[in-house]
Amino acid sequence: MNFALTDEQRMIQESVEQFVNDSYDLESRIALSNSDQGFSSEYWQAMAELGWLALPFEEADGGFGGNQIDVMVLMEQFGRGLVLEPYLASVIMGGGALKRGGSEALKTEMLPGVFDGSRQLAFAYAEQQARFDLDDVTTTARKDGEHFVLNGHKSMVQHAASAHQVVVSARTSGGQVDRGGITLFLVDADAAGISREDFPTVDGLRASEIAFKDVKVGADRVLGEVDQGFAILQAVANDAMLALGAEAVGAMEVLYKDTVAYTQEREQFDHPLSDFQVLQHRMVDMFMEYEQCRSLLYRATLETVQDPAAAQKTIHAMMHAIGKYGIFIGENAVQLHGGMGVTEELRVGHYFKRLLVIDAMFGNADYHLQQFAA
Amino acid sequence: MDIELSAEDLAFRGEVRQFFQDNQMKPGEDYMQWRQDWFGKAREKGGWDVPKWPVEFGGPGWSPTQHYIWEQETARATLPFDLPFGLSMLAPILMAYGNEEQQQRFLPEIRERKVNWCQGYSEPGAGSDLANLKCKAELSEDGSHYIVNGSKIWTTAAHIADWIFCLTRTDDSGIKQQGITFLLFPMKQDGIEVKPIITLGGSHSVNTVHFTDVKVPVENRIGEEGQGWTYAKGLLQHERTGLAGLSRSIVALEGLKEKARSVPRGNGTLMDDPGFRAKVAELEIDLMASEYTELRSLASAAAGAAPGPESSILKLKGTEIQQRIQKLTVEASGIYAPAWGPQQVGFSFSKGGMSGYLASRAYTIYGGASEVQRDVIAKNVLGIKRSSK
Repeated sequence: MNFALTDEQRMIQESVEQFVNDSYDLESRIALSNSDQGFSSEYWQAMAELGWLALPFEEADGGFGGNQIDVMVLMEQFGRGLVLEPYLASVIMGGGALKRGGSEALKTEMLPGVFDGSRQLAFAYAEQQARFDLDDVTTTARKDGEHFVLNGHKSMVQHAASAHQVVVSARTSGGQVDRGGITLFLVDADAAGISREDFPTVDGLRASEIAFKDVKVGADRVLGEVDQGFAILQAVANDAMLALGAEAVGAMEVLYKDTVAYTQEREQFDHPLSDFQVLQHRMVDMFMEYEQCRSLLYRATLETVQDPAAAQKTIHAMMHAIGKYGIFIGENAVQLHGGMGVTEELRVGHYFKRLLVIDAMFGNADYHLQQFAA
Repeated sequence: MDIELSAEDLAFRGEVRQFFQDNQMKPGEDYMQWRQDWFGKAREKGGWDVPKWPVEFGGPGWSPTQHYIWEQETARATLPFDLPFGLSMLAPILMAYGNEEQQQRFLPEIRERKVNWCQGYSEPGAGSDLANLKCKAELSEDGSHYIVNGSKIWTTAAHIADWIFCLTRTDDSGIKQQGITFLLFPMKQDGIEVKPIITLGGSHSVNTVHFTDVKVPVENRIGEEGQGWTYAKGLLQHERTGLAGLSRSIVALEGLKEKARSVPRGNGTLMDDPGFRAKVAELEIDLMASEYTELRSLASAAAGAAPGPESSILKLKGTEIQQRIQKLTVEASGIYAPAWGPQQVGFSFSKGGMSGYLASRAYTIYGGASEVQRDVIAKNVLGIKRSSK
């Protein structure tokens, strides 16, 4: 039993930390976020060269053979830097579906580009009526000879505008909320019949609404088996939640530490704010909930590595805590920074926004509490 | 990073389970005899009767992981009752600061559970601000003994104790942490009056104790005169980390769910009520987090590192969790929650539920109130210094 990082993990941690320190000061981040694409192609290329885009893939597929613990180490540092690049969308989600369900031919065709940064993927799992339920799918895929024909609408697809291919969950059989009958497709982003509405999210990242009208997809682009896509969908969502949990923990650490530092500098009533016990106790609560979230992150991640099926409940526990306490820490970091806390000038508000987004992606705190209690 | 127990640790766990199984109380067996035998057999295992004592004083010398396994297993087994005052609170002070004669005189009796001790720390004017204590000890003119006058309060088990270890004031000329002297003396003697305090749960475990001209020989003083605060302070931290009780809470939470499943609600049970269920789930998630916080703290101790910041939150979180379990047990009783007195009415757990809940309100007060704990974390972990303004 130990919680120490391996030498390799420490190297990942140090190199990502270095990258964040060198590249992600607040001013640079705001400029990048305001650019057309919303992130830096140069940074993306650097991540490819450092091997990060190939981290959680089998060595047989040309990857680095990393597991969820390695990704956790990387994502925590991304969380500290509020990194904008589409790592989650392309590597964890799109790549995660491809590595689990792609045929050898498809992986050989697609993965080298994912690793070298020339190919981006996105993951279209959500629909408006589904709220947070992965199994509520109304987008349909009808078999037509050697093709499937997709019709429907996918929502809040992260980084779809810059993606070359999109993994889409569609219903090939069964009722609207049946787990059976869901199939995953790797669809070219520029296929005929696809229309997109692109928009920014509150944290400065990018998302799209995507409509599919008679979009033809080859049967060789099915990931996994027809009708059996839900297991892959759930596994990818779990990896994404673990990655988001790590990112959130990184962001929470910055928020509580910034708040402790700021209240010792800022003076009111002839005292540093940190002299006031009511503020001290609030910061202790922020610190404690951050540590508890870190504990659940470790627990969910280690249990997933050991036995993914047995870890499902712990992932819900972690997401509940990340949602609830992430927002608690974010709100109080803003509160204790006073007027400055509600401005764009200080970084605390930006971290807070990211935590708000994380709570809304794969289910908020209440949703995961219900899933945990089910 | 991994959470696997090593082969040695698994073997140890098996041995502990076997021991508990082999030494259960048999039907008809005399409780006190069984208790005596149990500790004797635990001693033969190589110090299992004093798990936390260091090897040089007869302890087993377990690794942090072994201690964790022991705690987990004891939460599920039935062990003979034990009081912490001599064994876990006084003994470490004797080992660190007592002279050899004192160690030889007191430690064997503590180990054999022959002598009951109580702790004379809190006073009417010294609760969270313990150093403010006033109970006076004056050295006699010939220097052979102290004369103790004053009062102690919240003294658990004073009414059954044979001896007391007591913080007294020998000098009030300096700052309040100075001039405190650590004395040991018998409880059954003239000049000592013990009065019960009945707490909200209706039970008697704490007392007020009054001393009038109690004579204490100087050889019963631990360490130097005036240095008692230093001796007691180190132990307070030790006392706090032992109060989280997470293993027991895991068992208690399972018990709570079972109780709620025995309460009818509509066509199902209380566990089918979404509101109640959500509260249990939230509690369980906080407990799951705390368990890992404890493991993290243990792992850094096993690696020889000083306890990390995570260890500081265990007393706070652990006692809050214990209280929430008690509170939900009362909620589970519904209309029977108010039942009191000797009659058994309502659900099997109704009466015990309310008294357990009321007793649990003390958990966030004793051993350093939660507010004091937060002060300590702000200062020692977050590094916030009070300005001199």
